[in-house]
Amino acid sequence: MSAAKPLLDYVKALKSRKSFTESASALKRLLAYHKKYILYILLTVVLSIVRSFLFTLEPLYTSFIIDKVIIGGAYDLLLGFLAIILVSGVGVGLFSFAMAYVQGVMSQYIVRDIRSEYYSSLQEKSFSFYDSIAVGDLISRATMDLQGVDAFVRIWLGTIFNAIFLVASMFVILYSVSPTMTLIPLATMPLIFYFTTRLWVNTMPLFRNMQLILGKLSSYIQQNIIGMKTVRIFRREDDLVDGFKQVEQVYVDTAITAGKIQAEYMPIAGTLLSLGITLVYVYAALSTGSAGMAFTVGDIIMFARYMMRMSFPLRDLSMLLGTWMNASAGLERVLEVTNTQKTVEDSPGAEDLTVSEGRVQFENVTFGYSKKRPVLTEVSFTANPGEKIAILGATGSGKSSLIYLIPRFYDVDFGRILIDGIDVRKFKLSSLRRQVGVVLQDVFLFSGSIRDNIALGKPDASLEEVIEAAKTARIHDFAESLPGKYDTMVGERGVTLSGGQRQRVTIARALIANPRILIMDDSLSFVDARTEQEIQSAVEEATKSRTTFIIAQRLSTIKNADRIAVFDNGRVIEFGTHSELMRAKGTYKRIYETQFLGKAPENNDRKEGGE
Amino acid sequence: MSGPGPGHWGAFSTREEESRKRTTPDRVLMERVYGYAERHKRSLFLGIASIFLTSLTGLASPYMHELAIDKIIVPGDLSGFTWWIPIFVIITLANYVFQYVQTYQMRLVGENVVSDMRDDIMEKLQSISLRYFSEGEIGRIISRPINDANTVRIFLRVGLTSVLLDASSILGSFFMMYLLDYRLATLALVMLPVSLLLVWYLGKFSRAAYRKAAIVTAGLTARMQEDLAGIKVIQSLVIEKHAKEKFEKQQDDTVKANNRALLISSSYMPLIMSLRLIGTVAILWYGAELFKVAGVTIGILVAFTEYQFNYFMPLMDLMTMFDQYQSAMVAIERLFDLIDTKAEVVEAPVERRVELP
Repeated sequence: MSAAKPLLDYVKALKSRKSFTESASALKRLLAYHKKYILYILLTVVLSIVRSFLFTLEPLYTSFIIDKVIIGGAYDLLLGFLAIILVSGVGVGLFSFAMAYVQGVMSQYIVRDIRSEYYSSLQEKSFSFYDSIAVGDLISRATMDLQGVDAFVRIWLGTIFNAIFLVASMFVILYSVSPTMTLIPLATMPLIFYFTTRLWVNTMPLFRNMQLILGKLSSYIQQNIIGMKTVRIFRREDDLVDGFKQVEQVYVDTAITAGKIQAEYMPIAGTLLSLGITLVYVYAALSTGSAGMAFTVGDIIMFARYMMRMSFPLRDLSMLLGTWMNASAGLERVLEVTNTQKTVEDSPGAEDLTVSEGRVQFENVTFGYSKKRPVLTEVSFTANPGEKIAILGATGSGKSSLIYLIPRFYDVDFGRILIDGIDVRKFKLSSLRRQVGVVLQDVFLFSGSIRDNIALGKPDASLEEVIEAAKTARIHDFAESLPGKYDTMVGERGVTLSGGQRQRVTIARALIANPRILIMDDSLSFVDARTEQEIQSAVEEATKSRTTFIIAQRLSTIKNADRIAVFDNGRVIEFGTHSELMRAKGTYKRIYETQFLGKAPENNDRKEGGE
Repeated sequence: MSGPGPGHWGAFSTREEESRKRTTPDRVLMERVYGYAERHKRSLFLGIASIFLTSLTGLASPYMHELAIDKIIVPGDLSGFTWWIPIFVIITLANYVFQYVQTYQMRLVGENVVSDMRDDIMEKLQSISLRYFSEGEIGRIISRPINDANTVRIFLRVGLTSVLLDASSILGSFFMMYLLDYRLATLALVMLPVSLLLVWYLGKFSRAAYRKAAIVTAGLTARMQEDLAGIKVIQSLVIEKHAKEKFEKQQDDTVKANNRALLISSSYMPLIMSLRLIGTVAILWYGAELFKVAGVTIGILVAFTEYQFNYFMPLMDLMTMFDQYQSAMVAIERLFDLIDTKAEVVEAPVERRVELP
């Protein structure tokens, strides 16, 4: 099966049209964001009205010049007319500028508001949300999707107002010259609008799809270049290129379909306009012939020019519809995230409570990422204050889930977790999490200095406190050895730390707030002996006098634990001290011997790799 | 810089490479692109021929208006319409057909050329020695078949057509204008350099502002990327407020930078419009004076103001196209660099591969 199969399915399932009713609710939401900026909207209306008025003057006075000056010979009027054309033209320029700027600024603010709201909502999402979605996807909603919204917001009011005021004022002038000849633009303009609307409504979704495919192709290449070594070993190169080509073909086909629609519809507006103007020439000339001077040359020019000028705001208007299709799709993707229900939040009546002892009880805890398949089933045990509990089990046995339930990164489905006898849901989330230190499996550092990273856990920490935590976490000597000491930058633009060093920084970060309870997801199983020793000593130091839960990969950690909880299939199957469990001759003993001592088991029925 | 030593990694991917000067002449690059386009010779020929015919039929329209006014309407000789109407309609419809053929065929060429280039790159990426992938920055490699290819694609799709169309429109307009009246045509020509200079200057200004805004925006994206990648840390340390404050500050910086760029970009089109208008006024003024002396008819005056539209907008278009051309050339060179990289371990042809049992 090709590696590109899921990608290909995704690409083929992309919709090329979406209904307008679907986007009506998005429009309502978008309008709500405009509320704060009503002054900008009013300003846009005023600017648009004045601009429309000025915009009608040039053709009008051009026709005056032709009729009165050139044909009529009133040359003393020429300079005055020219001045009016010049002033009105510069005025149109100034007002256009002001409109573009006012709307652009408003759009910046509105997009900022949406993005802020989006960001805030992301901060409140629980771990289960992040388990189910890629960060890249969330980012693209805030960038690519909001760009589409911006593109719409910065033009939509002006485009609509311009279309209304311009078209209306031009029709009034044309009607005053000749009601019958006004029928010509009255017939052509709706057609122009219709065809250009079809153009944009049909192509915009295709362009968006192309953008989406390109994004997917990019991540496809990324995955396959990163995973290149594996690919080479298994000799799947041809397969990969084939997959790439197939997806690319969909892209090319989409682009060509869009091209075909553009080729058909794009020139229509110009053609219709040209034919309409021809009609004006012919009609005017014919009526002039039969009934004396019904139309002057200036009238004809004026009609022709107005028709041309009228077609611009109409074409803009239909393009706006296309822009909206993009914007509404983007906005929906953003709001979809913003609207996702929070799964973990403060319960009514939650309080700021202090953990004094640090006793943690699990009572019949059942939990699953989906209701049908529990990851943890009726887990019950108690960690006494200051006790260090090692948690042992195969991948997928629910170890991480268990400890993440304590600071409520997830909530239990049934049962409860008590700290000092109080249900964790009675704590305010912020007060709970502040008192439960966490060292995550993923040793993530933010760009910034080492000091910044350690102080994250207590933003107002002094350098002494940072050093104190660093010493406990056994990272102090390393920090001192760096050229900039604690102010050395880490991350992409700074020094690169090894996994072990990063882990100790994250331990220091968790310790600086001096939590009563500490949970550690110690994932670094393959490190050299020296690092192993340093991490071990950091862990020993960090866990002193704190109730600690530690997912352990290494023997030393497990043996040094006060008690050990052995997990299998979401249940605690054994719980006790090392010697107790060894005496019990159960799973622990078998794991201990096979994993850590390398002895062959008598019968190997232990589950490998979870499900 | 975290990478060791100077950038000796061929077509890949150190940071300094992004700012590297181009070494291959445009002509060579164009020839190689043509090598790809040659596979679609028929479309290319049809497309380019239609581009010229589009601009030719487009240029005929103001001239037809001139004829209608001077030969039919002003003299009141309505029988002229018997030839004028069919010719005008045919020209207009032909213009539609040429535009259709041109848009579609050039799209075919553009998409296929880029897709062929992209395929070559993918195959190359598969066969190049592994060592590049551990040394180079992956993101930059990926940008080749995606971003660079897209730059080329946009250029071939819109740019090339526009350049040809605009250039022939401009030259054709001036040709027609000189044909109608050399004095007015010279006036139009004389006013060009000033407009071009102004537009070029403002364009430079606006590009600088946009580059700056783009950098700040990239910073915002990076901030978000980091905060989301580290969201579990942020939540576990209860520093959401702290992170939000930093994010909002970055947002405000972005808004500020964008507003500054907006100030400049919003003035771009109005300025161009005003410049065009000054041209129109000059033509009307001088034209009206010339009418007294004789030689210029009303039809010519009207046609002139239309031709002025026909060369002014394409000219402005060309100026923005110049930028697109530059970045397309950079992208094309990088793509060929990659395609030309020699594979260190060359794959045996399929039929000679030894299948292990």
